Amino acid sequence: MAFDIDQYTETSEGVGWDDLDFEAFKTHPLPEQTLRSLRYMCDVEYHTVCYLRDLLVTPSHKERDISAFMTMWNREEFWHGEALAAVLGMHGITVDFDQLKATRLKLGWRDKIAPLKQSILGNVVGEDFVAVHMSWGAANEWSAVAAYRRLAKLEDHPALSPLLKRIAQQETRHVAFYASQARERLAKSKVAQKLTRLALSKAWGPVGSSISSDEDVKHVMGHLFGSEEGVKEIARIDANIAKLPGMEGLSIVGDSLRKRGVVAA
Amino acid sequence: MTQPGAADAPDRQHDQAAQADDASLVPAAEFTVREFARTAAGSHRSTLDLEAYEREPLDDATLELVDFLARLERSTMAQLRSVLVTPTHKDARITAFLVTWAYEKYWIADALEAVLHAHPGYEAAESRGPGRLAALSRSLADRFEPIRESVVANLIGEDVVAVHTTTGVVDEWTTRAAFEALRDATSNDEFRTMLERLLGVKERHGAFFAAQTRDRLRRSPKAAKLTRKRLNRQHWPLGAIDEDPQLAARFFETLLPDATIAAIDARIEAYPGLAGLGLLRRAKSGQPAIARAGEALGRSAADVRNRIR
Repeated sequence: MAFDIDQYTETSEGVGWDDLDFEAFKTHPLPEQTLRSLRYMCDVEYHTVCYLRDLLVTPSHKERDISAFMTMWNREEFWHGEALAAVLGMHGITVDFDQLKATRLKLGWRDKIAPLKQSILGNVVGEDFVAVHMSWGAANEWSAVAAYRRLAKLEDHPALSPLLKRIAQQETRHVAFYASQARERLAKSKVAQKLTRLALSKAWGPVGSSISSDEDVKHVMGHLFGSEEGVKEIARIDANIAKLPGMEGLSIVGDSLRKRGVVAA
Repeated sequence: MTQPGAADAPDRQHDQAAQADDASLVPAAEFTVREFARTAAGSHRSTLDLEAYEREPLDDATLELVDFLARLERSTMAQLRSVLVTPTHKDARITAFLVTWAYEKYWIADALEAVLHAHPGYEAAESRGPGRLAALSRSLADRFEPIRESVVANLIGEDVVAVHTTTGVVDEWTTRAAFEALRDATSNDEFRTMLERLLGVKERHGAFFAAQTRDRLRRSPKAAKLTRKRLNRQHWPLGAIDEDPQLAARFFETLLPDATIAAIDARIEAYPGLAGLGLLRRAKSGQPAIARAGEALGRSAADVRNRIR
């Protein structure tokens, strides 16, 4: 199904939480491991702009629909970061822009080399590389939806769960955009399929693994997906990815978690 | 910690203290990015009375400029691209600002486009863009710019942030003046009201970039030197490089009279290290020549192609 960009931009909004009873966090504070996972998710959301950078170095930003989507998407993700920061704030954990800067500074050369690598690949390979980004984005957004829904269910908290469901709801629209773009571009080009398959199977890692420590990645993935129900959720994401043209048989999310020992091999 | 040179003259001690203060200063501290994000202006559609243009349509020359401005306001992703491959992306306050800035500019462009669509007779000229040959060289440059910039700017480091905020403020002042000129020239009340509202949105963009620039250029002479060099290389207004040079020339000619140019240049030159730059004056006087050359190149490419056919 085609993605209606006008409908999306007109209805795009920052996620709200004013109507939720955040005082509930005082009477029902969240456990330590949940706060750690939320902090991770919050960082990922704020770092969307860095991911945007990787997308922009390829020729895709010149297309009108894509740049419209990116504008709205980037802002929605920023607000997810703000919402999660507000939850953390209720537990005395301050997430401020200065701390984010510190995280980005720590990324060091990896971060410097990323746009270089991306732009060389993107511009040399050109159009087909856009398909890689779109498929990659779809995999990430599917993972995000699953992660928020899992945490909403795990906690079943009067303020947190509705907030996470709202965030997940916005993420489903991001999925729709990336997946429809990926499908269309992959269907058109065998080269794009080969490139994407290669990139996903060799380089994809759980969302946030490029900006977080291995321990944090393991903690969050274990917390959210380290149960029977979690494993089923992972299988569903992998099934969605495998349905993209040329991606049959891939199970990148499951593989990445098995590799990290989060779920049984 | 003991300061070296404690026996220095009082003046020098004072300067050192001021510099230390500057270095620890958060640039544009008075601007609350969270507040800006929270109160961002989205779609203007519900405030527009598009039927007003049926009663009193704008002329084609004005519509062409509106079209041009809409495309400039829409070019945020291209601008973000050149900013984000550099160390500027590490400044989380700036990137948080840019997220909302891009969102507001998207809707500014949308409002301008709504005006164009309210004129069914208006058709954007077909031969948009910088001319074929220029477009080809531009497209090549476009592919390699982020590659070069990600290497160069990362070597320069933090000082490059000042280049981006100064570029931001110059562009904001320039396009702002163009909006004001359109507002002052029109007899259409609806058009004037809309431009007034859009200028209100643009206000905070200018305020953020201006405060950032002030603080960054004040505390680092190296940043000021770099900024001076880089501003000279920039094509003004931002985004115009992807446009028809004739139109860019007309933008300067019609909307930015010499007095306006001089006033903006004076504001730019009031920043530390930018005295005597004459940036927009040179951008404007360079326009027609660039336009002619670009057009000639584009035309010759088209001619050659026609002959081959």
